[in-house]
Amino acid sequence: MTAARALVGAIAAVAAAAAWGQESVSFTPPEVALILRHGPWPQPAPRDPSNRVSGNPAAIALGQRLFFDARLSANGAVACATCHAPAKAWTDGRRQAAGLASLDRNAPSILDAGRLRWFSWDGGTDSLWAQALRAMLDPREMGAGAPLVAKVVRSDPALECRYRVAFGGSQPDDERLLVDAAKAIAAFVETRTSGRAPFDEFRDALTRGDREAAARYPLAAQRGLQLFVGKGNCSVCHFGASFTNGEFHDVGVPFMLAPGRVDAGRHGGIKRLLADPYNLLGKYSDDQSRASATKTRHVELQHANFGQFKTPSLRNVALTAPYMHDGRLATLRDVVRHYSELDLERLHTHGEQLLRPLKLSDRESEDLVAFLESLTDPRATAPPKAARPVAGCKPRVR
Amino acid sequence: MTVRRRVAAVLLAGALALEAAAQGCDAPGTRLESDRYIVVYRTRPAKLAVGEHFAIDALVCPKGQSAPPAGLRVDATMPEHRHGMNYRATVAAKGGGRYVAEGLLFHMPGRWLLLFDVEARGSADRLATDIVLE
Repeated sequence: MTAARALVGAIAAVAAAAAWGQESVSFTPPEVALILRHGPWPQPAPRDPSNRVSGNPAAIALGQRLFFDARLSANGAVACATCHAPAKAWTDGRRQAAGLASLDRNAPSILDAGRLRWFSWDGGTDSLWAQALRAMLDPREMGAGAPLVAKVVRSDPALECRYRVAFGGSQPDDERLLVDAAKAIAAFVETRTSGRAPFDEFRDALTRGDREAAARYPLAAQRGLQLFVGKGNCSVCHFGASFTNGEFHDVGVPFMLAPGRVDAGRHGGIKRLLADPYNLLGKYSDDQSRASATKTRHVELQHANFGQFKTPSLRNVALTAPYMHDGRLATLRDVVRHYSELDLERLHTHGEQLLRPLKLSDRESEDLVAFLESLTDPRATAPPKAARPVAGCKPRVR
Repeated sequence: MTVRRRVAAVLLAGALALEAAAQGCDAPGTRLESDRYIVVYRTRPAKLAVGEHFAIDALVCPKGQSAPPAGLRVDATMPEHRHGMNYRATVAAKGGGRYVAEGLLFHMPGRWLLLFDVEARGSADRLATDIVLE
């Protein structure tokens, strides 16, 4: 269906619902066009050209085992899943993440992470595998080194078998094996995608011109959606089917950690990225064309980057409290209040002029929360299916 | 060849080059003009999308007696938002006034101002055009 036909159908659906006296918000054509931009969902999972095992079933199976394996940490007690627990929508529910030590930032969900351009709140890594690698190496997170990871993989017959099937029969050195382990974890994380939410049903009903289905979307969520694409101007940054433009903004959240300590956000992230030997310009990328490194080659360090943090996806946001990069806001109502009562004095003086206090009424705030809650996939907290068997490898890990 | 003939040959070659450049700037694409230059550009891909990297093929033609371009810079801003791109475009000269800019990305919907700075003899002409992304 073309965009024009979809728009006509959507407008017809809204008009028809109104004509039949059903409870429905009257969206303007520009609002409908903006709503349609937030789908369709789900979208095809992209493959990562910098990761030669992206989409490889044996690598996904290996990555799933590694993701839950605490032996990959210095104390044997921290796994990727410690901060990205399936039952918590692949976050940890904590204000700030804790691995071997406490961190300064909130653990983001890994759902739909394969669609992102940058990783971590500051975008300090440019691929999913580099992000997995960083978490393994960071002394505050898992604190592993290449020798530890290589030893775990080589000494466990089940892991070693899956590694051999996924990556071939070569005998890599420790560092190469560490990178491969990260790529297997990334291949697994790419499969963690969220399903359809009530919003998607409404959006597609608009597209089809299906007034009855559209009318099943709660009225409060419809009003909240209208605020989201209209008065709130939220969809400028929370753009597209993933509800994020994948870039970085200063939204007035303080970045002072303690007297004398700041979180530089994107400014520090770009510096870290460009110094990272595992970035997409480096020798470990499997993309020989380096086309996937365009972003890394061209990203520009700007003064305004200081205190900017990545726009998070809003899919399943109701399941991922607390909020903001440092987890300072406990509930979605707190987040809505933040934007409603925004303190412009906190915004970067060199920054963009996008935000202003929304000054929402109580009902508008509740409506916006109802809309955000309608972005929830009911299966987002389901545990992953057991890893697929790999031919020639025994099913049990330990 | 006499000096007079050499001068005539050089002038003829210059005139032909200008003519060729002028003809080139009749090529398909979006055409921008300043007092001294014409820029014709096309984006790759032709249809731009929010959050997708793109490149620009540009041809710069001097008008009248203007000097040939010495270089080209390409940038973009969102005036209403008071910010630019998060990426710096690299521009490569391909000869004959042709340039290729790579690495651009518009990360938000809305009105972008695409900027071409044609450098020549120590100064620059700025040519600009609006691109609205929905």
